[in-house]
Amino acid sequence: MLVMSPSGGPVTVSGAPVPLLSRSWMVTKLTIKPKLGQWSKILVGGPDLLPDESNAIAVLYPVPDGGEADAFTVQDPNGQNSIDISQIYVYATIPGDTPLADSFYYRTV
Amino acid sequence: MNRRELFGKLLGAGAAAVTASSLEAVITVPSYNGPPGGSRGSKLVAVMSGPFSTASDPAGVLNLTQIPQFVTYVRIQVHPGQHGKVALASSILFDYPNAADAAFAELWPNYDGSMDNGRSDTWIMQDVNWQNTINLADIYVYPEIWGETPLVTAYQLV
Repeated sequence: MLVMSPSGGPVTVSGAPVPLLSRSWMVTKLTIKPKLGQWSKILVGGPDLLPDESNAIAVLYPVPDGGEADAFTVQDPNGQNSIDISQIYVYATIPGDTPLADSFYYRTV
Repeated sequence: MNRRELFGKLLGAGAAAVTASSLEAVITVPSYNGPPGGSRGSKLVAVMSGPFSTASDPAGVLNLTQIPQFVTYVRIQVHPGQHGKVALASSILFDYPNAADAAFAELWPNYDGSMDNGRSDTWIMQDVNWQNTINLADIYVYPEIWGETPLVTAYQLV
């Protein structure tokens, strides 16, 4: 039967944009959020993402004091595993910060 | 006993020796409640609603259902007026040494309604084809403050 499984977690960003995963992994929905309590601005983009926000497809602000957090979300409208998260790069303006990536993928069990 | 040890004990195996794939195999059980995964019924039914308490677990970490149950929509919101963050994780990620750091999402409170016009943080997952594919047993909830009760809503098409 078809189920949608969660995956993801904190992504450690050192000094340069990093892919969410080093190997190809197809998902149907992806959300990236700043980790609450950290102060980095989070940049999201493709392999051409640069730290100066060039080519960024989203720039997420941190949440300093509660409330609704900023997030980047993309979901396949047809319910397919079509988003390759190895092609999604993130960058945190403070090295060592760990934005959260949350993805769901379809699989048959 | 930290959460990792507790989780390993619950599984009957040392968590350190369990790989993610085998952990997944241990947790996956053949039985489930309600319609099977991937089904698509014609009537939308709320199978969960209201405050969700994890207090029955000593560590305060609990999956939404103990037996797999497949839904098409799930929404988790920090209970307005409560003070703690709420971490969400998959069963697999709880193999990490620290459950809170393994979360795929963290939701912030809005305890006094002073931010964002009172909106507290909310996490929503929906199957775009309205199929019952989201396994509630795969979603673990961990309120930072033990005893707090995030609001959970889940819909199933039967």
